[in-house]
Amino acid sequence: MLEPFKGLVSRRKFLKSSTAFSVATFASPSIINAANFMLPTGLPAPNGPLSWLDSGGRKGKFHKAALADYGKEAGIEVIYDGLPWSELGKVLPLGIRNGSAPDTFCLPNNMEGAVAVNENWVQPIEDYIQNFQEWKAGFPEGSFIEGINVFDGVTYGCPYGGQRRYDDAVLFNQNLMNEIGYNHIGATRGFTYDEMRDAAAKMTKAGTPGIIIGGKAAWRWSTAATHLAQRSGATVGTWGLWQGMNFEKGEYDYASDHYVEAVELLLAMRDDGSFFPGVNSLIPPQAREFMTQGAAGMIIQGPWNVPIWQDAAPNFNFGVSPVAAPNESAFGNPLYNPSLMQTGNLMYINRQAKNPEYVGGYLRWLGTLEGQVAYANVGTCADPALFPQVLEQAKLTKPEREMIEMGGRLVRIHPNPSVRNSDVAKVAVAFKQPTLSSGHAIQGLFTGQLSGIRDTLQGLTDARNKALDDAIAKAKTDGAKVDRADFVFSNWNPSEDYGPSQYAEL
Amino acid sequence: MKNRNIASRIWEARIDYLFLIPGGIIFSAFIIFPLVASFYYSTLNWSGFSELSEFVGLENYRELLQDEFFYGAFKRSFIFMLITVPVQMMLGLVLAIILNNKFLKLSTLFRAMIFLPVVAPIAVISIVMALLLSPFNGPINGLFQSLGVVSGAIDFLGSPQLVLWSLAGIFIWKWTGLTMVYWLAALQTVPDELYEAARLDGVKTWQQIIYMVIPIVAPFAIVISLISAIHALNVFPLVQATTEGGPYFSSEVMEVYIFRTAFAPSSGQFPRLGYASAAGVLFGVAVMGLTLLQVMAARSTRKRRQEAELA
Repeated sequence: MLEPFKGLVSRRKFLKSSTAFSVATFASPSIINAANFMLPTGLPAPNGPLSWLDSGGRKGKFHKAALADYGKEAGIEVIYDGLPWSELGKVLPLGIRNGSAPDTFCLPNNMEGAVAVNENWVQPIEDYIQNFQEWKAGFPEGSFIEGINVFDGVTYGCPYGGQRRYDDAVLFNQNLMNEIGYNHIGATRGFTYDEMRDAAAKMTKAGTPGIIIGGKAAWRWSTAATHLAQRSGATVGTWGLWQGMNFEKGEYDYASDHYVEAVELLLAMRDDGSFFPGVNSLIPPQAREFMTQGAAGMIIQGPWNVPIWQDAAPNFNFGVSPVAAPNESAFGNPLYNPSLMQTGNLMYINRQAKNPEYVGGYLRWLGTLEGQVAYANVGTCADPALFPQVLEQAKLTKPEREMIEMGGRLVRIHPNPSVRNSDVAKVAVAFKQPTLSSGHAIQGLFTGQLSGIRDTLQGLTDARNKALDDAIAKAKTDGAKVDRADFVFSNWNPSEDYGPSQYAEL
Repeated sequence: MKNRNIASRIWEARIDYLFLIPGGIIFSAFIIFPLVASFYYSTLNWSGFSELSEFVGLENYRELLQDEFFYGAFKRSFIFMLITVPVQMMLGLVLAIILNNKFLKLSTLFRAMIFLPVVAPIAVISIVMALLLSPFNGPINGLFQSLGVVSGAIDFLGSPQLVLWSLAGIFIWKWTGLTMVYWLAALQTVPDELYEAARLDGVKTWQQIIYMVIPIVAPFAIVISLISAIHALNVFPLVQATTEGGPYFSSEVMEVYIFRTAFAPSSGQFPRLGYASAAGVLFGVAVMGLTLLQVMAARSTRKRRQEAELA
């Protein structure tokens, strides 16, 4: 006699589960816990929906929820869009040209604020934030900088995120690390180069590839090598035009011993067979996912991994540590970022915005202590809040707090030529980067398509320095008052933040 | 007088010309305008961000001709074509001849199965292939290792020596079904009487194919190879979805090169739409040259055939 088909879940069990899910869903509080947006007085009637565009991620999760609540309170429909940087860079310029760009947006990641201002894409935020000067005074020093988000004394870019973030850590599978006897590695004590190589080799010998990286994205190789070089003592920038630039000399400096040793470490781990097989076919999110599956022991990646892993794989036992340094005496060497505020997250108001007053109301709330606390709870260590005091109040897990602590202890702000001379933005526009980027060069060395580490890095250095000279010459021809000396900062102490007082000394 | 004649002839055929207008508008908007615009943009130094652009004449072309990565991408595009087209043509012909046999049971089912990859979205195929070819737990590597063919995993899409061949394999697998359909259409031009006569004369099957079928369908090869060649030069979705041109440019074909310079520059650099347009124009001219060569070859074959028939 045939038995009736039994599904995996009985009707009673399904009803019980779905009821529990419904209760949990509708009873769960808003992720932002914001009760009062302190709406501006005298808001006009909405002119269509309030539209917002940024690059998504952890901050996107926050804004999507917070803007929805804000819209309800302000009586305006809200459209939030979070696009990857590559898409944002295509969509926004087209939107500006055909008049469909959102009310507020962050700029493409290769675009200077000065360009957006010169091109009339944006308008000052000052007119739309009530009690602007009082509001602005509540921000920490370094949040409004001429040449970055202030132009000719007028504020255009609204900051809300901090960049004292430890952008590349060594994140590891704690169980595997314990098994090979490296349980002393953590946030307060990172690897030396030799230890990292040894740990990766031991994990591989024990059956799990020691290290993984999203090597298909060439920029992952360049940031990993740059951060390793910085821990070795290279006083160079990390991102965009400033990557590899030694601000003591005002020149690109990829062929320094620091960089060479960093690349040698990566190639040595390759030669040991410690890298995950097919590492050059993996994009960074895939590499991240393989970690939670126990497929690799360590990854060099950013703090955004922490909340992602906690959400997606709550049982994954992992630890965090600073990027490896050549030896114990170099453990105090910091990583460098170009400003205290997260410039990629600066929000600008569209010159043709339909609801600029509503944008101003939200940005105003975001720049208050209440807004920053709400943001810090969601942004955590991935997209940290700008106000340092709220990070102490934020509800953070142990690895999140460790990442924040590493950022505070081991991240310093490097000099920024754009701040010194706003005409440097014209150099950025004129700069034609040689096709062989640092990421491609290191990827080529890794795959064996290029040979000779120092020669390759010297070629890269020469090509980029020549491109910078050409860009300066072009900018000068176009009327910019800029010189190679604008890139040299003789008064820089790399162990301290480079701030307004240092700029004033120049 | 002559002009008046043309004008009067056009007026007499005005209804015919009226029907040409919609097609003409669409052709102008989607073919003529982009061609002219591409050439115009190629003479500009323009990021695409700014409304301001600078006319630089042929400077972008001069720079391109000194760019080793442009030559590399150009060469890879044509190498890819030279790998895939002959294999596709041969494989498609063999499959078509086999499946054209009316006595073969389930031939319709086999045709459908071989054609299935053609209609599958390239993005899905790319993801599935990346999983199948993965050196970590990928089933193809698993099979090779269990059979003892290789000792370590093969990095099909991450090895600079293998990546172009791997992509060519995926491309051939996806598009051979289409080439097969073209050949099947060509095979319909072989009269049934010829087969019957050959069978009555005791001609063996392989002799029928070599001495009867292939000479008849040979002229179609020019058209099929032209279509396949142009197809093989348009592999952007496959390459972008699987390797993005890497590792270290080893699978960067021309379309990926154009996309990178136009839309996906390295961090810290502005896109160069003018430069990318110049690369597009040069590549377009090369493809057009290839097309002309094939058209000339087709004409020559047709002429020789007509001469042979007359003789």
